[in-house]
Amino acid sequence: MGDTEIKDGLLYSAEHEWVRVEGDTAVIGITDHAQNALHEITFVEISEVGTVLKANDECGLVESMKASSDIFTPIAGEIIKVNTDLEDAPETINEDCYGKGWMFKIKPSNLEADLAALMDGNAYKAFIESE
Amino acid sequence: MLERTQIYEWHKEHGDLVDFVGWEMPVRFSDIREEHMAVREAVGIFDTSNMFRFFIKGSQAREFLQSITTNNVSNLDINGGQYTTCLNEAGGIHDDLMLYRISEDEYIWITNADNGPKIRDHLLTHSKGFDVEVLDRTKEIAMIAVQGPKALSLLGKMSGKDMNEFGRFTCNPLTIAGYDTYLCRTGYTGEAGAEVLVLNCSKSDEGKKRAIGFWKELLDQGAEYHIKPCGLGARDSTRLEAGFVLYGHELDEETSPIEAKIPYAVKFKVEPHYIGYDAVQSHKKEGVKKTRIGFVMIDRGIPREKYPILFNGSEIGMTTSGGLSPTLDKGIGMGYVPPDTIDIGDVIEIDIKGRHRRAEVTKWPFYDPDKYGETRTR
Repeated sequence: MGDTEIKDGLLYSAEHEWVRVEGDTAVIGITDHAQNALHEITFVEISEVGTVLKANDECGLVESMKASSDIFTPIAGEIIKVNTDLEDAPETINEDCYGKGWMFKIKPSNLEADLAALMDGNAYKAFIESE
Repeated sequence: MLERTQIYEWHKEHGDLVDFVGWEMPVRFSDIREEHMAVREAVGIFDTSNMFRFFIKGSQAREFLQSITTNNVSNLDINGGQYTTCLNEAGGIHDDLMLYRISEDEYIWITNADNGPKIRDHLLTHSKGFDVEVLDRTKEIAMIAVQGPKALSLLGKMSGKDMNEFGRFTCNPLTIAGYDTYLCRTGYTGEAGAEVLVLNCSKSDEGKKRAIGFWKELLDQGAEYHIKPCGLGARDSTRLEAGFVLYGHELDEETSPIEAKIPYAVKFKVEPHYIGYDAVQSHKKEGVKKTRIGFVMIDRGIPREKYPILFNGSEIGMTTSGGLSPTLDKGIGMGYVPPDTIDIGDVIEIDIKGRHRRAEVTKWPFYDPDKYGETRTR
């Protein structure tokens, strides 16, 4: 599998999603560990803009050659943007999961509490090693 | 403790391993799509040593085998082979298998990995009263599938034989690059090729070295044909694209071969009648409750097994397999619906985790048979 990249400054969920807070918006994607495990991502679908979600709600799916995985939002709120580039180029998640492979942006409704439930890079590293 | 094939040490070094029905097997060596396209356009090799290989010998071997399998065993000449099924009393499928006749009174039965122990018990139970001996030689023989439009060129080069001598479904002893084998002219990808039984490959260090030696010889000599080692991911995607049934998905104890639409595996002018004969005969004559269909997605989305199938807004069945077809770059799948509810060309919907997506009912294989597959024309 090779080395797993974990970026400082992001927060991580046990479902292998990452969260980056940009002003009053939370950007969400899946981690390097997740894209590595899925391998060859062939299809991504995220719920529509305007969908209101609670933390840990299912809000989309990722298909790889081998399996289908649900996406959950670690942050409650309203989806305000979906990365539509992934429709035609889902492999972007394999290539750049923390950058161009971001999945959706949320206008948070309970940000502080949701962030407090997530792991920092060191804690996430320990988490995937223990899995 | 997971079981391992004779070639495991090589897989561990070069592939990503997964637990597959109790066997530690490679899911991929590079990318599943690359491996898949190597099989469609060049040649790929699969370690299928986890399948079970039973040798059945004796003066009543034919009668015994006919009493438990659905194809016509009498049609098998020496060095012939056939795809067949083994049924329960109700006509449900115990397993699907390849049966080869290797001498006057000896046959090889090759069965699915996860059904191996069940079939071994079945053979031992039902062989009582017949003059026949059943030997499980799974652990003495490695099995490698060599598949793709260049597969026979490669095996011809390695054996020094003209592969045209060996017709489809035959099984012949053949020395390939110094290794004693049975060359079975069969496969599970839709492409030309063979499944090679490599003899004298026990799970001793020497046996493993031999099996890995043959595997590496294929890769070395196949380099000029752009050969790729392939894992279970490509094995599933190639069989799905060919429209082949897989036990545990399209086949199970509740499904008959008539329902599964594999009528070529079932014959009725046979003696003795096999277990399940009356049940499948009634399926054939009086009809079935469900029938297998194939479909290609019209909308975006990838079908998987156990997704509801809808027609005119009502749920009519369930999918049994699904995935992305690399040659079509679309989702494809198979499933069961009641007979006479839909036709080829009808538009159905697949419930993909709550999202209803349109698909067209089609024939299999799903790939373009002019461009791909054993009977390709270009």
